[in-house]
Amino acid sequence: MPRSIWNGTITFGLTVLPIKVHSAVEDHGVHFHQVHAKDGARIKQVRICSKEDKEVPYKQVAKGYEVRGGAYVMLTQDEIDAAAGEQSHLIELEEFVRAEEIDPVVYDHTYYLGAGEDGEDAYRLLHDALARAERVGIGRWTFHNREYLVAVRALDAMLALHTMRFAEELVDADSLDLPAPSRKPTKREVEMAGTLVESLHDGFTPASFHDDYRERVLELIKAKARGEEPDLPEPAEEAGGMDLAAALEASLGTSANGGKGKDTQSGGKRTSPRPRKRTSKAKS
Amino acid sequence: MARSLWTGSLSFGLVNVPVSLVTAVRDLDLHFRQLHEKDGAPIEVQRWCANENHEVAFEEITHGYELDDGDQVIVSDLELQAVEPRRTRTIDIGQFVDLADVDPIYFVHPYFLVPAGEDDGSARAYRLLCEVMSRTERAALGRFVMRAKEYLAIVGERDGALTLTTMRFADEVRDPKDVDAATQKTHKPTRKQLDAAVAVIEELTCEWLPDKHKDRYRARLKHVVDRKRKGKTIKAPANAGQPEPAADLMAALEQTLEELSAGRSGRWSEKRTAETAS
Repeated sequence: MPRSIWNGTITFGLTVLPIKVHSAVEDHGVHFHQVHAKDGARIKQVRICSKEDKEVPYKQVAKGYEVRGGAYVMLTQDEIDAAAGEQSHLIELEEFVRAEEIDPVVYDHTYYLGAGEDGEDAYRLLHDALARAERVGIGRWTFHNREYLVAVRALDAMLALHTMRFAEELVDADSLDLPAPSRKPTKREVEMAGTLVESLHDGFTPASFHDDYRERVLELIKAKARGEEPDLPEPAEEAGGMDLAAALEASLGTSANGGKGKDTQSGGKRTSPRPRKRTSKAKS
Repeated sequence: MARSLWTGSLSFGLVNVPVSLVTAVRDLDLHFRQLHEKDGAPIEVQRWCANENHEVAFEEITHGYELDDGDQVIVSDLELQAVEPRRTRTIDIGQFVDLADVDPIYFVHPYFLVPAGEDDGSARAYRLLCEVMSRTERAALGRFVMRAKEYLAIVGERDGALTLTTMRFADEVRDPKDVDAATQKTHKPTRKQLDAAVAVIEELTCEWLPDKHKDRYRARLKHVVDRKRKGKTIKAPANAGQPEPAADLMAALEQTLEELSAGRSGRWSEKRTAETAS
């Protein structure tokens, strides 16, 4: 675990809890540099002033907010940063809510919280109390010059923090204008679909899913590094319209002896335990 | 309605539901353009070849991957396309899980799926999936490819519409073994402390009302822009101090409960300051 990205304090009531924030996720995508095809040289981004047609050093770059076509209010980075409010290094849990009331769609980025200096007892106390009461603490967090609405909850043996999306940022399902079918699905169709869901039902084992695409890209890179040329496969075609009931029936026929919801594309083993479970075991 | 980002079909057993993907999140951020401070002219970002030191057209740019030894492998768009999975227009549902089993730590971006087929059959198949998932509180796990990347996704139902949320793979979620979660026996709260902490939490519990919480940052940023537009100066707010952890957890909890029962719950920060000052 890399070192913490933010140190501060969580409070609830008069209880003060020094904490460290760690990122809970990391990006494993394959990253390329942009290069010039002709000579393989790196592409660099150059800032050009549209008036002078000359390169602008980073120090001379300001931020412009467009107020009407082509007219900008110009601000310095410091002025924009002032909007963050007090840089208090404090997350005050102003209220608590029942965990099941929160639709996880509001959770944006996840962080792990660790106990800061002399914060261990209060950390464990908040963790155990949130877990027992099945509550989530709600507060505000200023991070990288921006204020976030955050949720603090017990995650296994740890405290986790989620930045949250504001209600007005979420698209309402009513605005989608979904087409209504001429008739509802029949009882038989619902029953068959239910049976199909049941036959494909299994526990969630995150480790059984691999990023096959990432692995193929890395293989391609290795092959090219050895001087090999890759093959080009043909694109696949889609199926057209269908008879719903017949398709459901046929699916049930195939899934009855086809085993339960395998990760069909990776064929990964399902024996490895969840990473979260493994960790809590190692801790105790 | 939002622009569709991807169109294909949701494949569920042998049932195919033509769908398109629209984002479930609106970008309400204020966006700024880079300006040259001296003359206020917009800045244009150009791609230059570091070797030849002149601008390069977009078509002349390709991908370079740096190997551990510092050597570079050049990979073209065509070659990358060649390793894309075959069924790029299908969200292949392989498994249904209990929604409660999937921790939100795996979620990346939420979308809605909307029916893309014109025919009545597609609309009915869509409705059927909604109904079954809502009834069983199950969600579907599947894979699909969008913009040259393969995603793991979870398909569920919300307010009569199908949702799709992209997910992280297990190895992208960090192992928390080095996070100090204070799990040693010595940090275990006493029953009395835990009871008091739960009592504080229950006292401070209210209904989750997402609309109540506003984006104060965006409002302040708008205010900053407005002030600047009127030629006023912008002052950065003072940095506030940090409270010290209380030596006696039980005393802090008991005092919180006292304040709460006396109906004096506002402004904990002032009370903490008063306490450390006294």
